[in-house]
Amino acid sequence: MDILEFIVKYLEKKHTIDHSVDLETLNYVESGYVDSLGIIQFVCELEDEFDIEFSEQELSSQSFQVVGQLKKLIETKIAEKKKV
Amino acid sequence: MYKLADIFYKAAEIQPDKTAIWCDNNSITYRELVDLVSQYSNFLLSNNIVYRDHIGIPMTNSIHSVALILAAANLGVGLVPINPTLPIDAIKAAFYSANIKHLIARQAFFENCDKNGGLEILGEKICIDGKLEGTQSLLEADKMSKERPIVEHVTGDEILIITMTSGSTGAPKPISLSQKNKYERAMAHIDLYKITQDDNVLAATPLYHSLAERLVLIPLLLGGTSVLLPRFTPNIWINCVKEQSVTFTIAVSAQLNQIAAVNDNSLNGTSLRCLVSSSSLLESHVKNQLIEKLHCDFHEMYGTSEVSTVTSINLSESIHKKQSVGKPIPGADVVIFKDNGEVATAGEIGEIGCKTRLLCEGYYKMDEVFEKSIQNNYFKTGDVGYLDEDGYLYFSGRKKEIIITGGINVYPQDIEKCVFELPEVRECAAFSYPDEKLGEIVALAIVINEGSEINQRKVQRHCAKNLADFQQPHKIIFLNELPKNSMGKLVRAQLIHTI
Repeated sequence: MDILEFIVKYLEKKHTIDHSVDLETLNYVESGYVDSLGIIQFVCELEDEFDIEFSEQELSSQSFQVVGQLKKLIETKIAEKKKV
Repeated sequence: MYKLADIFYKAAEIQPDKTAIWCDNNSITYRELVDLVSQYSNFLLSNNIVYRDHIGIPMTNSIHSVALILAAANLGVGLVPINPTLPIDAIKAAFYSANIKHLIARQAFFENCDKNGGLEILGEKICIDGKLEGTQSLLEADKMSKERPIVEHVTGDEILIITMTSGSTGAPKPISLSQKNKYERAMAHIDLYKITQDDNVLAATPLYHSLAERLVLIPLLLGGTSVLLPRFTPNIWINCVKEQSVTFTIAVSAQLNQIAAVNDNSLNGTSLRCLVSSSSLLESHVKNQLIEKLHCDFHEMYGTSEVSTVTSINLSESIHKKQSVGKPIPGADVVIFKDNGEVATAGEIGEIGCKTRLLCEGYYKMDEVFEKSIQNNYFKTGDVGYLDEDGYLYFSGRKKEIIITGGINVYPQDIEKCVFELPEVRECAAFSYPDEKLGEIVALAIVINEGSEINQRKVQRHCAKNLADFQQPHKIIFLNELPKNSMGKLVRAQLIHTI
């Protein structure tokens, strides 16, 4: 599945994201799509789906919470894995 | 008269152009909401949904969810709202225990269920937000008549909501709430906090819990305005209170902990006239921060889903009765039962029992279990506390080992059962760990089998797949052995010292 589509589908488990929302800059934690209770599950689902593992540093960075930047991070990790 | 739909339709006649609900930058007037409720009612009838049927509904905070509650009341139908992120097994257990026939859900839910093996639904499947194969689309409801259908045999005694005591993987207890329960609970809070049609009442907890359902119904029965927060973060809450001129709300203490911590004094002098904290007592510094920020009446309350609010205390009382959860509200009475079943005297600790006209109808199809919770007409809450000589109640803890995270009950046994499925795990125990934001979080201690290896990530992955979001362990520790007493019984209270 497309990375962005997977992220959006997960975020929409609880609430539909309005079409007017700019996904690229959407901070899904500050906007309440994932709360501190749900973040562990989100991370595990991403790691499972794309067969990657995030470092503690990546998880704690502010950019991890922004859809566009998270997508880029996943793309980079997938590319790195292919190189190996 | 307990027929909620009758009361709502009547309230709507008085000020049809007034905003009935605001949610997520959308609002709907009473006139429009009446039309929507009538169309939903006609749509449900045309899809073979009949009096006293039960409908499962993974519920989100939205205007259409509220309209569906009112349509269900109009038709004498029961709704079984659940957390949409529950794992599939917990959803199956909840729907089975509440005997659901139909399902109303968003497209994302149907797709997610299909991905996980599907749900067996004997009746109709209705998709709220799209056209999905094998389902009826609720979007078609806008073609239905706006004339209110009347189901003659609705009396108000029908079950309106069946709410689950937990999203547990074990057998959940389905609490039956009739229209009459919902009406009486709404009226009790209207009287207690003097809510009127001029109030803008905020509901900021999920609609699949009874607190938000009550907060939404209160204004709609009075002709006030319901402000429904789609998702909670402290900043969204603060902005909503300001922008929607909220005057009254009940929040869970975990939310208020987060709101108090936000460095924002712009709430000074806002419209909020009364704030009620529920679920657990706030620390006094948090209370002070909130009062400084909000300048409004402040109350705390104690209750459970079975009995609704039982005691209430306001700020000036709480200065003299520190750590008390208050005195019984009108129509409620509290006693303390000692272990031998006798009623305790002032100062003696025991199980909190409540007699109230707000008591639920029972546990659906679990009469025996419910009857066991009743002693001399008092519902035994499973909470432990005492009364002082002035009749103020003090909460000391829980009889059952429950972790309350963000206001939601988590049963340690559910976490342990799941983690125990990992072959590397010899023993494990879930326990409560204090947290500034959520009140408590789930912590987990694990003893692994000799020669086995397992890391924290693997445990987290397993839990992420098999438990609901609120059940996820936030702290995981590995121990050589679990603390036990001389009888070999786990001493859960000691686990906190291992972190």
